[in-house]
Amino acid sequence: MGELVPELTIYSSLPESNLVNYEMAQELSEELAELGVQLNAEPTDFSVLLDIIYGEEMDYDAYTIGWSGRVERLDPDMFIYSINHSANANPGGNNTSRYVNQEFDALADAQRGEMDIETRREIVWDAQKILAEDVPRITLYSRANVQTYHHERFTGLENMPGEGLFNEWSPMVMEPLSDDHTVPVVASNVDITNLNPFGARSVYDWRNLRLIYDKLVRLSPDVEPVPWAATGWEIVDDITIDVTLREGMDFHDGMPVTPEDVKYSYEAFMALPDSYFAAFVQPIDSVELLEGNVIRFNMEEPYAPFITTTLTQIPILPKHIWEDVDDVTQYHNEHPVGSGPFEFVRLRDGEELITETFEDYFERPNIDGYIFKIYASPEGVLTDLELEVVDMVSYDLIPAHINQIKDNEGGRYGHLTITEVPDIGFFYVGLNNNRPPFDNKDFRVALSYLVDYDYAVDVLLDGYGSRGGAGLVINAANEFWHNPEVPVHNTYNPERAREILADAGFTWDSQGRLRMPLQ
Amino acid sequence: MAGYIIRRLLIMVLMILLVSTMIFLLFRTMPGDPTASMVDPSIPSEARQALLERYGLHESLWTQYTIFMGDLLRLDFGSSYYYNRPVLQIIQNRLPATLILMFTAMLFAYLIGIFGGAWMAWKRGTKLESTGITLSLIFRSAPTFWVGMMVILVFAVRLGWFPAQGMRTTGYEGTTFGEIFISLDFLRHLILPAFTAGLYFLATPALIMRNSMLEVLSEDYIEMAHAKGLPERQVLYRHAARNALLPVVTAGALFIGMAIGGQVLIEVVFSWPGLGREIVQAVTRSDYPLAQGCFIILSTVVMVMNLIADVVYAVLDPRIAY
Repeated sequence: MGELVPELTIYSSLPESNLVNYEMAQELSEELAELGVQLNAEPTDFSVLLDIIYGEEMDYDAYTIGWSGRVERLDPDMFIYSINHSANANPGGNNTSRYVNQEFDALADAQRGEMDIETRREIVWDAQKILAEDVPRITLYSRANVQTYHHERFTGLENMPGEGLFNEWSPMVMEPLSDDHTVPVVASNVDITNLNPFGARSVYDWRNLRLIYDKLVRLSPDVEPVPWAATGWEIVDDITIDVTLREGMDFHDGMPVTPEDVKYSYEAFMALPDSYFAAFVQPIDSVELLEGNVIRFNMEEPYAPFITTTLTQIPILPKHIWEDVDDVTQYHNEHPVGSGPFEFVRLRDGEELITETFEDYFERPNIDGYIFKIYASPEGVLTDLELEVVDMVSYDLIPAHINQIKDNEGGRYGHLTITEVPDIGFFYVGLNNNRPPFDNKDFRVALSYLVDYDYAVDVLLDGYGSRGGAGLVINAANEFWHNPEVPVHNTYNPERAREILADAGFTWDSQGRLRMPLQ
Repeated sequence: MAGYIIRRLLIMVLMILLVSTMIFLLFRTMPGDPTASMVDPSIPSEARQALLERYGLHESLWTQYTIFMGDLLRLDFGSSYYYNRPVLQIIQNRLPATLILMFTAMLFAYLIGIFGGAWMAWKRGTKLESTGITLSLIFRSAPTFWVGMMVILVFAVRLGWFPAQGMRTTGYEGTTFGEIFISLDFLRHLILPAFTAGLYFLATPALIMRNSMLEVLSEDYIEMAHAKGLPERQVLYRHAARNALLPVVTAGALFIGMAIGGQVLIEVVFSWPGLGREIVQAVTRSDYPLAQGCFIILSTVVMVMNLIADVVYAVLDPRIAY
């Protein structure tokens, strides 16, 4: 008889921080008990969980966590290379499944260096096929981005997958429907912590800064890179990219935007190994200025996501302000000066950020600014939506509030439109592929039949989400990169799990405990 | 008296050092890595290491402690990990909103509580007394967030008399203390949260006052006052209430100390930008410097208020001498 399958632990979320993950871990534990495997579900605080899965010891069997669907993650590099390549399977790396497959690594490397987008897509599709077969992790569900806005006051808003309504595009294209309300109030449930681009640490810090500071390229709602502060780019060869800066732009303080400012900004981020953008600028070797507003980026190696992630993320900072700062990461930057479509007016801690439209911007937005208002609870936002204090939200509504708005009892929410897009981010069960029994591929595949995907989406998320699947990382919301031909296991079928285990040589002893196959 | 105050001040300094040490150790034994809430998990591990070094978290506990205490003696609370700004600046930004809300609520609770309590004792055994006690206990026991939501529903949503959320109307002008807090708009926003908090605090002064009044009312000098033929109101407020006030003063002084901590639930329900919410979040984010700073200031104020209560005692009751 083979070895007993060891007693396992799954670190999940505390119910108050993520009820779905908490419930799914409990469910999985019960399903495995039926199969003769003891899996202890241990709800864990988020920061403790990060400690465990990024820790030196790599001491864990399984866990539940998620990747949020930011716009830059539409590029497949993050979900293919960063979280699956064996180079990142060391402690602290993002391959916290400790998945190692050389055939996969070759594809992950190749897509990174492939500058032709169609060829790159072929490679990314092949890589997804391997992940679906190997099942390094089991994706449970994706949440839907369900958000709302006041349709009697504004029109033309776009809800972007992973970004929601308050993306970097909506404020530039939305239109006021009357002359007396031209400054939308955006409700947030997260405080503004930082106005310093170098000190920014999360997507929340960037949501306003990216409208105050401009970028060379922006991603359209269809996720196409659009030349913005640049007029265009030329791929000279695999490791040389020339970008031409738009002429006649000014910073909010009246100083002109020059190629030197761009060079300064990129070099400043390159010098900071721990900035939010470290991963995006790391492949850059040097930045040169050529004739006629042309900025040349010399890369260390071919890096395909350069235009869709690096150029769309790094802000253009005014060199004349920042070059005199001693330690840029510690600078307060109380009054940010950028060259973006919106000008900073003032910030009141814990209350609101006020901006106004930059009149000299080359493509003036239709609104006259926006106010980013901070709330302590989603119930407070709902009240102010009803009272018409708030015009749009910047976060995903909870199912109870979606239903309340949709029911529109007494016509109180009649002025609100609900929009919904699927998220490209996902929540998953991570498995330590380095340890028994998860080092056994058949066990991982069998496990994927023990997850009740419908329960997660239909019951726990009240239908506002989409199903996951074994080894699914790029879901259907990411239309261009998702491979629709890959058969992904995403059905709950404990009988099938039993069969797979039996076929793979797993046995059950007289007490019903599961035993590993004989070597 | 002066000698007594000096002695108490010296003990207070020792206590603060002790409390600071305990607070320091408490946060270090909490599970979780402060960098986890500071950096995105997708940031490389070298970056995490660099952060630990920047904040001195790679040093031994003892070294961290000596640096912490050294800074504390210079009244330097350090910089918040999360906000990347000096702790004192953050506290300064948030404290006025909390204090104004709490003092307004206290004024409401103590004015009504003291007079109401005295009156309840006076009307001992009547329906009025039992209604008063029941009402104050109901508001004491009802969850404040629920009372807050009901107050919003009635006065902001249904009647539309007051705004529901925040401290000022969206997009208001103003950055200085005067521009923010001295305005009709602020007052309109203050009323609902202060009312909700006041209802919650009401039971303490009302019930303490009632109890101590009952004791005082059985004293001989009250009977004497009656016998002299003094008007009822004069006996009640001039002779009885003044002497019954002492325990209420102690409770009030301690209340001021705790006021800095704010009422987290009320701040959440009304999106009030106060310090209470900030303290709770600092703890969950493992933002040691901010949480330590808040708690040290909190405990210092409680001690100072205790001292003041003792001094006020002596003033109110000439028999007490230190």
